[in-house]
Amino acid sequence: MSATFEAVPTKRSSLERRRMITSAIGWALCGLAFLLVAIPLLDLVLTILIKGASAFSITLFTTSSNGVKGGLLAAIVGTAVLSLGSLVFAVPIGVGAGMYLSEYGQNRLGSVIRFLSDTLTGMPSVVLGYFSYITMVIGFGWQFSALAGSITLAIMIVPYLARITELSLQRVPVSMREAAFALGARERTVAFNVVLSAGLPGVVTGVLLGLAISVGETAPLIYTAGWSNYVWNGKFIHQPIGYLTYVIWTFIDQPYKSAHALAFAAALLVMLVVLAINIGVRIVLRPKI
Amino acid sequence: MRSDAKLRRSTLLRAAAAAALVAGLGMGVAQAAGVSLVETGSSLLYPLFNIWVPHFEKAYPGVKVTTQSTGSGAGIAQAISGVVQIGASDAYMSDQQIKQNPDILNIPLAISAQAINYNLPGLNDKHLKFSGPVLAGIYTGKITKWNDPAIEKLNPGVKLPDHQIIPVHRTDGSGDTFIFSQYLDFSTPSWANTVGYGTTVSWPAVQGGLGANGNPGMVEALKQNPYAIAYIGVSFYKEVAQAHLGKAMLLNKAGKFVLPTAKTISAAADELVGKTPADERISLVFAPGAMSYPIINYEYAIVNSKQKDAATAKAVKDLLTWASNQGNSESYLKQVEFKALPAAVKKLSAEQIAKISG
Amino acid sequence: MKRASGFRLSLTGIALLIPLALFIIVVFLAQYAWPAIGFNGIRFIGTIDWSLGNLYMNPVTVRGYSVPLGANYGILAFIVGTLLSSFLALLFALPVAVGTAIFLAEAAPDRLRPALSMLVELVAVVPSVVFGLWGIYVLAPLISHYIGPGITAVFGFIPFFNIHNSTGSGFGLLAAAIVLALMITPIIATTLYDALRQVPRELRESAVALGATRFEVVTKTMLPTVRVTLVGGVVLGLGRALGETMAVLMVSGGALNYLPKTIFTPISTMAAFILSQLDSALSDPTGMAVKSLAEIALVLFVITLAVNALARVIVRGATLVRNV
Repeated sequence: MSATFEAVPTKRSSLERRRMITSAIGWALCGLAFLLVAIPLLDLVLTILIKGASAFSITLFTTSSNGVKGGLLAAIVGTAVLSLGSLVFAVPIGVGAGMYLSEYGQNRLGSVIRFLSDTLTGMPSVVLGYFSYITMVIGFGWQFSALAGSITLAIMIVPYLARITELSLQRVPVSMREAAFALGARERTVAFNVVLSAGLPGVVTGVLLGLAISVGETAPLIYTAGWSNYVWNGKFIHQPIGYLTYVIWTFIDQPYKSAHALAFAAALLVMLVVLAINIGVRIVLRPKI
Repeated sequence: MRSDAKLRRSTLLRAAAAAALVAGLGMGVAQAAGVSLVETGSSLLYPLFNIWVPHFEKAYPGVKVTTQSTGSGAGIAQAISGVVQIGASDAYMSDQQIKQNPDILNIPLAISAQAINYNLPGLNDKHLKFSGPVLAGIYTGKITKWNDPAIEKLNPGVKLPDHQIIPVHRTDGSGDTFIFSQYLDFSTPSWANTVGYGTTVSWPAVQGGLGANGNPGMVEALKQNPYAIAYIGVSFYKEVAQAHLGKAMLLNKAGKFVLPTAKTISAAADELVGKTPADERISLVFAPGAMSYPIINYEYAIVNSKQKDAATAKAVKDLLTWASNQGNSESYLKQVEFKALPAAVKKLSAEQIAKISG
Repeated sequence: MKRASGFRLSLTGIALLIPLALFIIVVFLAQYAWPAIGFNGIRFIGTIDWSLGNLYMNPVTVRGYSVPLGANYGILAFIVGTLLSSFLALLFALPVAVGTAIFLAEAAPDRLRPALSMLVELVAVVPSVVFGLWGIYVLAPLISHYIGPGITAVFGFIPFFNIHNSTGSGFGLLAAAIVLALMITPIIATTLYDALRQVPRELRESAVALGATRFEVVTKTMLPTVRVTLVGGVVLGLGRALGETMAVLMVSGGALNYLPKTIFTPISTMAAFILSQLDSALSDPTGMAVKSLAEIALVLFVITLAVNALARVIVRGATLVRNV
């Protein structure tokens, strides 16, 4: 008798055959499911790429919109000001909160803060924009302003920054902290020079992702930033400011070809920034966490 | 040590960012020597305002005007709250609004009109006839099909399709809704008793009725939905023509069917502008006269007579004065099929403009 | 106990700013909407009729509140629109997300897996307004010309699925549901994918030893263990769908004062309605309209809060059960 078995072709029972067919169909369905997700995304990106690129020219970046034609300079500058401005508020608070939660937040207070922070992410952006309209734009008298827009965006992205910071800092080994304490370091030194430095790639990831979110937001800005056809003149209050997502949202409704072209061009710019940040973060920074 | 170097680098970065911010602000402050005005509101007036702005800015360098198309309701609300300097509106403010905001002026800048457009495959080159009561029936859901006897009676000899009508209304606070609902209100008692008029009305539930945002949204809705009917400002006549949509003849107060043309708009204006009061709030809808087009209106600038400073007040006065004089020349108005203000009204407007101070 | 350092205290203070912001927003909304809550009562969520009243006549006093003549604020149509579109979206998203997660975890070639999983994650970061743009340009015509007639051909005997009972414009419940489904599928899929990859190998190997096909290993052994994570992901996705504004506003058709008869009929959701009505509401001199919009915001917030809290309870409850 040979030690190896000859492969004897067995007759498959009908049950077995049914199971194999079911499994094959199952795999096919899973592949179909994936395509149902991937294809719309690719179609979306392609549509925007093709229609947006057709509006591209040098003037797109050097002139501002006037009514329904022109360029996107004011909108581009405005988006940059609003998003970077929101980081000015969101980074200290978000990273600080995340640091608190990871270092000192393993208690009742910490879990309450975590829960409420998650709740804040569930707040619809339009509710936030509406709140800011009544309190800052009208109540404080700032009118449509970059400051109102930035603060609203900041409220939106702080919870994300806090959560990602907390997760990144938690991965720093406890031994590093203990070693620093053993050397006599104060809490502040341990937090900044040891934990934050080690967890920096993760924190930067969070900041960049928050930036990507703020670049793509519309509803919080409609009633806070207003709209302007002119490049931002440096005033933080009493001066409305343009932004790219406004162009996408309103110009697509105008029955002029030039307006549609601008809407797609703005969408292309927004998508480029959002995709660049997200892909970049996943390829470059994630492995380092 | 690595962390020291990192700290130093991050401090340097922070300092550089701060310096850039300050430099940018400095540049900004230098640029801010001019005055910025924001105009928002009526999508009916929006095309004309966009035509005006470059010419006005050439005449008055140092004033920057941003225009927005958000609907008359927004124009009124934001002018009242002070977040914009000029609210454009096809509708004048209500008595209650005036009572609550006595400083707000309603200043006509031009006379415009509104058309009823539709998308009927095969029939868009014909001017179908409609009356106020028939339109009211369509928008209340009492008349549901194109070949309803009421519509066929007005259009003898036309083969109307047996298909559901899709009435499109404005979802935003709209001056177009205001004048359209006034036409229905003045001509149809049942509409007046149930729905009334306003920049927003409680549109009766019509299965399949669509909502659209702004005049452009109305045009798009017609383009995408055969068998739809909508009310669209005449300033969009080019887009309507390009889309090969139909334009209706409307029954006026004298019982005649008229199209919105320069002649019919003028006829209606001549009948009523003489009655314009000092605060210039008056409806021009459903004017008497055989040649009068029934849906015309003043395009208002809703402005606060108390502006935040003298420079802004002067800029606003300059813009309004320019608009009601140079801006009223045929070369601008005919691009949107509007009509110029008569001299008597220009005088009333000038008197109101003089009240603006900062 | 050592006294907490100044640094720790200041960090605590910073962290407390987040709940503080939430608190301020909710309290502000509640007190702002208080007159509307009083005026509207329970009819607010029970009536379909939303009417700002006649804003050009003088306001009247009803039940002690000054409101425009004929004003009546009922949001049942918007609640139905929100719930219908979100649940329909979940109905589409769940099988697609599960299938995608299985595909990524088990069927995708190892070298392509990072790229393919990144592709799925990227769907989640597309801004809402860009989805709306695509919806207007691509999806609505697609529904109107192909998907709608297709569904009608197969299910048309059920009135709800018959496109001829609607205006057939493509803007409506189905468009909103599809767009929402695209937005929440990645949330569910990536949560499930991460969980699937952490299923212990022994579980897989024992199933194989018992003669299961590879597919059966996944469906009959791995999926049941990640059931809880799946439910948590689903609820998270639901939370996102309920609050979506821009994309829904652009493709849902903006219906007013009626409930949808078919899947192709226009709808309005609460979030989209708040945004589209603010300007109109501001023209109400009594202010009751704006306060009623604030009340809608409050209702929406309470609903999303409940859904998110449910997600946490489910996940935490299951973790407890697993650790027992």
